[in-house]
Amino acid sequence: MSISECTDKPLDLSPVAAMVADRAPFSEGDVIDALQDMQTRYGYLPRAAMDEMARLSGVPVARLYGVATFYSQFHLQPHGRHAVRVCRGTACHVRGAAGILSAISRHLGIEDGDTTPDMQFSIESVACLGTCFLAPVMLVDDQYYGNLTSDKAVATLKRIQARDGAPNAAAQPAAQKGSAPCPP
Amino acid sequence: MSAMNTPIEALQIRRREAIASHPRRAVRICCTGCRALGALEVHAAFEAELAAAGLTRDVALIKTGCQGVCAGAPVIGIDPEGILYLGARPEDVPEIVRTTLLGGNVVERLCFRGADGPLPKRSAIPFFAAQNQIVLDRCGRIDPTRIESALAAGAYAMLEQALTTMDPEAVIRAITASGLRGRGGAGFPTGRKWGFARAAAGDVKYLVCNADEGDPGAFMDRAVIEGDPHAVLEGMLIAAYAIGARHGYVYVRAEYPIAIEHLHIAITQAREWGLLGGNILGLGMDFDVAIKAGAGAFVCGEETALLASIEGKRGQPRPRPPFPAQSGLWGKPTNINNVETLANVPAILRMGAERYAGMGTPTSKGTKIFALAGKVAHTGLVEAPMGVTLRELVYGIGGGVRKGRAFKAAQMGGPSGGCVPARYLDLPIDYESVKEVGAIMGSGGLIILDENTCMVDIARYFMDFCAKESCGKCAPCRIGTTRMLEILQRICAGEGQPQDVDKLEALAYQVKKNSLCGLGQTAANPVLSTLRHFREEYMEHIALKQCRASVCSGLMESPCSHACPAGVDVPDYLTLAAEDRYAEALAVVQMRNPLASVCGRVCDHPCEHRCRRGDMDEPLGIRDIKRFVTDTVAAPWRPPEPWSERETQRRVAVIGAGPAGLSCAYFLRFFGHRVTIFESLPEPGGMLRVGIPAYRLPVERLKLDIDFILSTGVELKLNAPVENLDALFDAGYEAVFLGVGAHESAPLKGIDTAAPGVLDGVRFLRDVTFGKVSGPLGRTAVIGGGNVAIDAARSALRLGAEVTVVYRRTRAEMPAYPEEIEAAEHEGIALVFLAQPTGVVDDHGRVTALRCVRMEPGAADASGRRQPVARTDSAFQIPCDTVISAVGQKVAARDAWGLRLTPHGTYETDPAALATSRDRVFAGGDCVRGPSSVVQAIGDGQRAAGSIDKLFGGTGKLPDNLKLSRSRYAAQSEEPATRPRPPLAALAGRTASFDEVVATLGDGAARCEARRCLRCDLEKTCQ
Repeated sequence: MSISECTDKPLDLSPVAAMVADRAPFSEGDVIDALQDMQTRYGYLPRAAMDEMARLSGVPVARLYGVATFYSQFHLQPHGRHAVRVCRGTACHVRGAAGILSAISRHLGIEDGDTTPDMQFSIESVACLGTCFLAPVMLVDDQYYGNLTSDKAVATLKRIQARDGAPNAAAQPAAQKGSAPCPP
Repeated sequence: MSAMNTPIEALQIRRREAIASHPRRAVRICCTGCRALGALEVHAAFEAELAAAGLTRDVALIKTGCQGVCAGAPVIGIDPEGILYLGARPEDVPEIVRTTLLGGNVVERLCFRGADGPLPKRSAIPFFAAQNQIVLDRCGRIDPTRIESALAAGAYAMLEQALTTMDPEAVIRAITASGLRGRGGAGFPTGRKWGFARAAAGDVKYLVCNADEGDPGAFMDRAVIEGDPHAVLEGMLIAAYAIGARHGYVYVRAEYPIAIEHLHIAITQAREWGLLGGNILGLGMDFDVAIKAGAGAFVCGEETALLASIEGKRGQPRPRPPFPAQSGLWGKPTNINNVETLANVPAILRMGAERYAGMGTPTSKGTKIFALAGKVAHTGLVEAPMGVTLRELVYGIGGGVRKGRAFKAAQMGGPSGGCVPARYLDLPIDYESVKEVGAIMGSGGLIILDENTCMVDIARYFMDFCAKESCGKCAPCRIGTTRMLEILQRICAGEGQPQDVDKLEALAYQVKKNSLCGLGQTAANPVLSTLRHFREEYMEHIALKQCRASVCSGLMESPCSHACPAGVDVPDYLTLAAEDRYAEALAVVQMRNPLASVCGRVCDHPCEHRCRRGDMDEPLGIRDIKRFVTDTVAAPWRPPEPWSERETQRRVAVIGAGPAGLSCAYFLRFFGHRVTIFESLPEPGGMLRVGIPAYRLPVERLKLDIDFILSTGVELKLNAPVENLDALFDAGYEAVFLGVGAHESAPLKGIDTAAPGVLDGVRFLRDVTFGKVSGPLGRTAVIGGGNVAIDAARSALRLGAEVTVVYRRTRAEMPAYPEEIEAAEHEGIALVFLAQPTGVVDDHGRVTALRCVRMEPGAADASGRRQPVARTDSAFQIPCDTVISAVGQKVAARDAWGLRLTPHGTYETDPAALATSRDRVFAGGDCVRGPSSVVQAIGDGQRAAGSIDKLFGGTGKLPDNLKLSRSRYAAQSEEPATRPRPPLAALAGRTASFDEVVATLGDGAARCEARRCLRCDLEKTCQ
């Protein structure tokens, strides 16, 4: 069960009606678009909203889930406020994307595909951002960062953390890297 | 718009207005791809600065799409001068406005760096000079968000022409005649495809533009849509007219937000201008376009999967036939073309099918856009005629491989493609030729791979991608890719089995043959192409647990240590040096390499070539630090502790006291075995003593290392050639190691080293060592480009000769160390390149000249090096008194030993154990590899010692690396820094003696340098 479904505040399902009504007569061809809208609205595809869309559109909920689980863009769990997309395209790969991903992963204390407990960041590795000339690249929300090194990538996240005023960086022991000797 | 005008006249008027209203001066900033490096900030700075200078009216500030030379982001073009500025920051903008726009001068530091200085003009930059931009013509010139900008540059003129002057069949005929083939990868003739769609029955037909550019490494479709969306729309309109479609879709990847935005704007504006919708241009054609954003599934690039996705379903492919031309979207005839294909259409009509077909190769016409990325100096977007060679793309347009490293392969066609190795650098690229060498054209992604790329890792990477992206519908792809991935992961982790390669190959063919759609049918290509061209790398991973590119982390702790044939724990000793713990640092080196002083001076340092720091600024000066440590710690050095733990009484004979033999003896002592070295010369050291001149390696430094090795209890017999191996076994030796080196010179046709005045390079160096060179050398011509040639040349110079080195290839291809070549030149040695000696001119037994012919680079050999060929009528002479031939070395193999030889005349051994064809006889170093490096010989000696220990029932396992320091100096580690250069002896005195030329680094410089180490090893050991 996801975090939001554990919270006591019920989900506002009223926007779902518009997602269906705007596409009247709603057909199967509208499913991907409508789910993209839903994800933009909620940040992920909540179970209740999926049920509501199925009820209003007449498309079986199993069909909606079939589509939602096929495409990597859709999340069934809430994601962090900042999406950190690390490109793993060929050019990035040969120029050290794996190192960038592991540095970010260590800094945030989460694995690829996960979200920090404070819901600030999610890490997603993506197949290719199409910015191979800047390799290695990451995209944080809608901002591209190119020609990265591990230190530059982590510094970027630290800047965002500082801007958001989150104490995340200090709270993570894994984030400490530097002159302190590493235990054997 | 006047009511009197027809829609076409109205469009023409607006086009003229758009052209007229455009100021002559323009500043064009790429605001798509270059956004990532601050293009929007630079644009804002221009806006403010132009306003402040009162230039807003006179200078058009245009946000363009990609201008191609992406490595220089953000890219700024200034017209009409045609100036290009690269990498400008907002703070540079006032200077650009002041100096260039107002002052008419160039800001040189922002210009492209050519070989001979800055190149301000776009047209002078080699990156552009070799291109032919037809499809990308407007991309980077116009503002893609303003249709007026596109119209002024000619957009939709071909639509108008097609609708007014051609019937649909004529359009199809023109496209067929142009020879245009699908640019999405498969290369199906576009005209024929359109013909099928036109002929298909039914009044509802669809046109789909495939912009699901999913191949990692391709970004041309993104650039075209972002930079010139109207070219795609115009192509779609013409295609729709040709096939009779009224509805169109553009299926774009969700990962391309800017492309979606620009396309959306372009469609809205085209509708407003009557170019989309009903009754287009008043000519009765109806056509409209909708955007479908993909949701992240690579398989949707496959046409039937793409159609399923547009229909709102899971993007799974279905079997063909029926083909989409018969039954596509919602069962209606559907024509699907890729972005670049459609963008070619207006260009074809503009230039005429015949002229278009005049470009390219017999089977592939027109141009192709390549996305040049990876380890190439100038990454970016390149449009060149079909038939362009990889060499032109990589070395001409791309400026060569980054950091001057060696080109290994080009990955073409993404996960469906393959790796094209160096030997095909001169292959004209078209659909067929690329397929023949095991890759595919694909969408044109061209990832350049250098020597630091592991081909097994590349195969694993693509298989990981395909296994993840397999839609799961058919078993061969779903299960086959997963099984192949498991095998590849195993090999990369150092757990590969000998039969894995065959298993992998068999699986690959199964998956290729039996999968349902293109994804599965091509998923094995990266494996098959790397197996075809780089099979030996798979074998090294499996049998030797070696990754020659130092990439596969499962096989190593750090790239430098892994690259070192002796396996020295480089990060550990660098950090100890940084902490002033020099004795411990030396001990760490000596755990794996007993010739520390030697390697501190003359090692070819493969570690530095693999150093990850090299990707940031410069690789660590590992060799210089090693030398600093050995010069700082007072000798004599004590053997490390583990060397006195065992004594076995088993006796081993080592033949040759060169680096391989000395190393083998040293490690045999660690295992406790009794060793005797037999050396035929009067002094130990082998080539280190008689091949490397004293100005590079002083005798007393070599002696320090040898004394250290002998102090472990090794017996050394000098002037003791071994004629017969049986005698050794009879004398009680239980194993033999051969490290006899390659002390003979390779012959050169036309040069007789027995003739007076003509010397053999290897023998010359030996004679110099022992003071046996007599008489003045006079003007001396040295033939060859390797280290022996340069050593001979610099030695001859020190003996008073006036020296010229003659080499048959170019300078860049000289095998000698670059620093040696530079030093030779600096000392006044003349270098003559592309000249092949053919004979010696003599006058009654006295040499008067060297006869040569001029050479030029010809076709590439297997390694991608261009073989020199003689130019006709180019004979010339180099006047000289002495000729030294140093074109290579070979082994003086002894038949009496009864060992099998390779075709190269070296001893045949199995690479893992270094065992020869004879039981209990092992060999290593130059006599196995041919002329190679010191550290390679040391590594071989070490490996053979382990094999001999195993033969005696031991483990063959070396002592553990010490891991004495785990510090990382983060404070300064990633700050860009250049490495210190060790001081050189003053030129004035140095060529008169054999005193050492290169000095030791200073104390502070060595410490600082050592602190630049990134400690890659800790990434692994501390996780």
